[in-house]
Amino acid sequence: MNLTIALARLLIFPGLLFAVPAAWFFLWLERKAVALMQQRIGPPFMQPFFDFVKLLGKTTPARTGVSGLLMKAWPLLAVSAAASAVGLLPVLPASGGFQGDLILLLALMELPSVCIIAAGFSSRSIFGEIGSAREAVLTVSYNVVFLLAVVSIAVSQHTFRLEALAQLPASPLRWLGVLAILVCLPAKLHINPFSLPNAEQEIYSGPMIEYAGPELAMWELSHGLEWVAAAGLVATLAAPHFAAGWIDAPLFVALSFGIVLLLSVLAAATARLAIDTTARFYWRCALMFTGLAIVSTLLMRLRA
Amino acid sequence: MNILSMLSRNLWRGVTTLRFPARPPVTMGFRGLVRMNPTLCIGCAICRFRCTARAITFSAGKNEFTWSYDPGQCTFCGRCIEGCKENALTQEAACPPVYLSIGDLKTSYTIPRKPPAPKSPAAVPRGSGSQPTTGVTP
Repeated sequence: MNLTIALARLLIFPGLLFAVPAAWFFLWLERKAVALMQQRIGPPFMQPFFDFVKLLGKTTPARTGVSGLLMKAWPLLAVSAAASAVGLLPVLPASGGFQGDLILLLALMELPSVCIIAAGFSSRSIFGEIGSAREAVLTVSYNVVFLLAVVSIAVSQHTFRLEALAQLPASPLRWLGVLAILVCLPAKLHINPFSLPNAEQEIYSGPMIEYAGPELAMWELSHGLEWVAAAGLVATLAAPHFAAGWIDAPLFVALSFGIVLLLSVLAAATARLAIDTTARFYWRCALMFTGLAIVSTLLMRLRA
Repeated sequence: MNILSMLSRNLWRGVTTLRFPARPPVTMGFRGLVRMNPTLCIGCAICRFRCTARAITFSAGKNEFTWSYDPGQCTFCGRCIEGCKENALTQEAACPPVYLSIGDLKTSYTIPRKPPAPKSPAAVPRGSGSQPTTGVTP
């Protein structure tokens, strides 16, 4: 992959030019779907964009005793990481990539969570610190399942290259991995029932409490980009690449759309769980999926 | 699974949010805007004393008095209506209308003082020896 292609992927498709409108669209879709399931009207189509522009035009009030540079750096780092993660997704066949780009994608997808934790502690607010502590516990809990699922898929297909993974035919272990990743997505995206770190009613959005104006706009954007990256990763692993290149991009978008709708139904149907229940749930999931993965591997060996 | 059937039912029923200017129906005994009938008011100002939100103001002159009501300050508690012996105050059974500038709904009446009603002789306590200070001369 030469520099021009890399820049085109990062800045145009599936990078910033595609990912930013897609992020706003996914944020709108989730809010609208939840509202309709609760018999509310929900936001108009352009609302996330309007929110973003409105926040950009506001000034951030001075925060005494808090390092301004650090507080500004965390949302920018989160947006950069999430946008780069979207840019790595192999939406189109023969789109380049390199050996080990899956590892880079996982690292980039984890960075926004790390930034949220750091931002909460940097804010020196009690609610921010509680939110950060919850985010840290949540991250450790779901990442056992998430990382094991992705790594087991990669190992079973003998490659850590995203494009190769997207083109290889799916195996039972891969479907199991996709299912495990789907279970982790609500926690990764902070939606119900795992919306503990940014609980609005209990801790006033936790780590975001001291943020306003353009910095809050960046957090919103990074959240939207996380939606695109997470839904895109599942779509990449679940949908095979067809020979005809033109069908891959619409299929990718349609699958991402379906995943957002599925997560919206889950968010509307559930209430927020306590942190100990959440941690217990993911450790049990880790045990269950590990058991299923071992059984699946043994069966595959026996068949071979 | 019951929640999923509830969600699908909600989805097919459509939204129940009312679009402006539609208003939800009000219940029996709903406490809305306070209305005053100037022909019944005698200017006793009990409503002003009972209004803890200071929505009702009262200024008394020698021959007239001014009664003012600011719905922007009103908490719609209904204590002024309870205290009005002349039944000059009533409360609308409807949501207050939306207004765009401060004081749009403010109402004020300047009412001339009525001459006091004559007291009947039966109302004078027996043996008190006092004479009615006002009334129709015989």
